[in-house]
Amino acid sequence: MEIIIQQLLNAAQLGAVYALIALGYTMVYGILRMINFAHGDIFMVGAFIGFLLATTVNMPLVLMMPLTMLLTAFVGIAIERVAYRKLRDANRMSLVITALGVGIFLENFVRMVVGPQTRQIPAQLPDKILTFGSGLVVTEDKLLIILISLALMTILWLFTNKTLMGTAMRAVADNADVIPLMGINLNRVIAVTFAIGSALAAAGGIFYGQAYSIDPYMGIDLGWKAFIAAVIGGIGSIEGAVLGSFMLAGVEVFTVAYLSSNLKNGIAFGLLILLLLIWPSGIMGKPMIKKV
Amino acid sequence: MRKFGFMLLSLVFLAFAVSGCGPSNELKIGVSAPLTGDISALGQSTKNAALLAQEEINAAGGIKLGDKSYTVKLIIEDDENKPESTATVFQKLINQDKVLAIIGSQSSKCSNAGAPIAESAKVAQISPWSTNPNVTKDRNYVFRACFIDPFQGKAVAIFAKDKLNAKTAAVLYDVASDYNKGIAEVFRDEFTKAGGQIVAFETYMTKDTDFSAQLTKIKGTNPDILFLPNYFNEVPLQIQQALKLGLTAKILGSDGWDNPELIKMGGSAMEGTYFSNHYSPDIDRSASKDFIAKYQKKYNIMPDAAAALTYDSCYLLFKAIEKAGKADPTAIRDAIAATKNFSGVTGDISYDGSGDPVKGAVIIKIENGKFVFDSAVNP
Repeated sequence: MEIIIQQLLNAAQLGAVYALIALGYTMVYGILRMINFAHGDIFMVGAFIGFLLATTVNMPLVLMMPLTMLLTAFVGIAIERVAYRKLRDANRMSLVITALGVGIFLENFVRMVVGPQTRQIPAQLPDKILTFGSGLVVTEDKLLIILISLALMTILWLFTNKTLMGTAMRAVADNADVIPLMGINLNRVIAVTFAIGSALAAAGGIFYGQAYSIDPYMGIDLGWKAFIAAVIGGIGSIEGAVLGSFMLAGVEVFTVAYLSSNLKNGIAFGLLILLLLIWPSGIMGKPMIKKV
Repeated sequence: MRKFGFMLLSLVFLAFAVSGCGPSNELKIGVSAPLTGDISALGQSTKNAALLAQEEINAAGGIKLGDKSYTVKLIIEDDENKPESTATVFQKLINQDKVLAIIGSQSSKCSNAGAPIAESAKVAQISPWSTNPNVTKDRNYVFRACFIDPFQGKAVAIFAKDKLNAKTAAVLYDVASDYNKGIAEVFRDEFTKAGGQIVAFETYMTKDTDFSAQLTKIKGTNPDILFLPNYFNEVPLQIQQALKLGLTAKILGSDGWDNPELIKMGGSAMEGTYFSNHYSPDIDRSASKDFIAKYQKKYNIMPDAAAALTYDSCYLLFKAIEKAGKADPTAIRDAIAATKNFSGVTGDISYDGSGDPVKGAVIIKIENGKFVFDSAVNP
């Protein structure tokens, strides 16, 4: 029993990080109908900004985390402004290719600046080991990562559902063409979306760098996983991205735990294909007739 | 604009065509090293050691063939620790640079990707650090400067069984890498043969960073030993996660651990762990002491085993070229194969029909953030 709970916590921690990345994919897709393939690399950039702040000026986490999220939000805004805005009305394929290009640029830029080594963000969350019952062992940082991630997701949900800007975002997602007619500044809404998505990814990056490790290419694999989680949940849907992320992490962890670690990706992705066959637009997605 | 594009393109081709030529008093040797990518820290040691050897031999007048002296020119290429890039690097070194022999690569999966190319081009390859048996198997032109995994895996298994009195062991290894997989299997077989029991045999894929599911499963089996035959860039993370999950097993590893990054990343989590290695700076051997002193003076860092083995590979090759007496790849291959009692930094190297030297291993213990000699294992 302890082992099952421990595996559930392992899955929750991994799922929380997936979700923080997946939200960025899903929000950008929601308003722009565009898959921002550079998003995994924005997550990586966030992790490295956090790493640099923590190692060079020894900034404590309570300061480092908001500052990293803010700086990464600007990175997201800048990418949208420089690379995507001019292409907004172009063929979707041009946008996708541009996004891939931005991603490769970010990977190589970071590699050039900080080097290719694997690193860790110095642990700042308390990591005392707590023992429950007859062998359930949890570190405080694991619980904190899960809780803070859930809190961030709740704030995002409140923001999109209860504020004016959130309403504008949902309106853009619904029908971008009529938005300027309503007196809403489309560019601003899009910039805010990129900012929020990037800031959440940065939070994910910091957690990932504490719990696991970071390197300039980390965004590729994780970006794919989070993207797939967003698709499973129904891309465009915020609740769906969170659900999909925890599901993907759960399937991965429990495949390792009860079947075989050799089959982890095979079974995880096989199951997800099966799910997509049942719900072609994701579990919580709306059916949509539109080309990528 | 288009015309300009064509001109640029033809210039690029011209540059490629010309780059093949060089002065005639040079002996070109290729080096394939993981300068970037996941084990780039080790690629840096490779480069450091190779450049040190080049500088020394040229300062000493180069290599004499007949009555003419030649300087050694190393062409160091980045294989990114990827098999496909290694194949490209080998092609380039052989076809374009026309090197006499190749030193490299370091990880077994990469050396294994380069070896068929060296073999078919009849250019000798010496891998400093690739311990997987398949690298040299059924190949005439491929050599290595290190022991092989069946020996290393057995050494660790016996050490675990006899010195640490372990009865049960768990293994976590990268199933996508030849080296990790090979040594994990040897350890499993040898530990079982010695009367121990393998209670968990878990895998992950290169670049995974979350091992908590596997480690939780391992913890459930409560092993005496956790064996992690993986590279230094992943091991600290695995050990940290194991400790955070409350695993109390003694932790062992293999020569893939040996790089200063291990301690830098792992910190106190590494204390009290053991791994098998090619040599220990603590062993009193004049060739080692000389090398360590020179390397430290030039780079201000302790050399890892990969650096020592690269240095040995360079000198092994320099001696062989001198003995061959001519700049001919096949004659050089024959001279390498005939090497007897070459006294290197990491021990004596002799080849006896195959490309694998017979060498001993050492077990290193990590104590107060340092690699400390624990015991020696001889074949």
